[in-house]
Amino acid sequence: MKVLLYGRLAEAIGTEVELDAAAGCSVAEVRKRLGEAHPAAEESLKRSRALIGDSAVGDDRVVTAVDRVQFLPPVSGG
Amino acid sequence: MSVVAHLEADALDPLLELAELTEQARGDGAIVSFVGLARPESKQGDAVDAVVLDHHPTLTRQSLEEVAVACAQRFDVSHVRVVHRFGTIPAGEPIVFAGVSSIHRRAAFEAADYLMDRLKTEAVFWKREVGDGEAKWIEPTEADFADRDRWG
Repeated sequence: MKVLLYGRLAEAIGTEVELDAAAGCSVAEVRKRLGEAHPAAEESLKRSRALIGDSAVGDDRVVTAVDRVQFLPPVSGG
Repeated sequence: MSVVAHLEADALDPLLELAELTEQARGDGAIVSFVGLARPESKQGDAVDAVVLDHHPTLTRQSLEEVAVACAQRFDVSHVRVVHRFGTIPAGEPIVFAGVSSIHRRAAFEAADYLMDRLKTEAVFWKREVGDGEAKWIEPTEADFADRDRWG
């Protein structure tokens, strides 16, 4: 499963990671797995909103095999 | 009426942007513009060589457009122009141009103020100040949010 990251998450984890998570899991599980794999980014992940296809999704959203989950930390503004 | 919201990868020339706006605003009586520069010093007093703005491939431009359109709808203005850079911006260089034209000056002043208050807190960028070999992430301050909240 492909996960896209921005801002300080991209700095800590990378802009794009392949996560070994089963299709059918929730966004909350993706968030948790990523935090376990990158403990330094765990706090930032908790503060980040999740998007699929550029639409905000809740943590209970089920992720399919073709979904690309994006995590956006709070924005800095311009 | 026109609304321009542009995301710029290269250098931003505020005089060129103002010239474009002035050309459009021939029937108006006022233009107010703001140019934001990359500061050479952080709030803590550390030297800053450059500001780095990460952006999102679709949401960043969308956020600029949303603010510009909301400004055009809210105030009695004729033209709204927002141009925002992303990437690495050396200290002293322009980051953002925000300009509006209107028949009367009051609406133009208020609209420009509104544009910047919202852009400072809502534009989808992730910003770092780089200096002395280290980078610090920047987030909006309480004062920035209070400025935005003035507009309800």
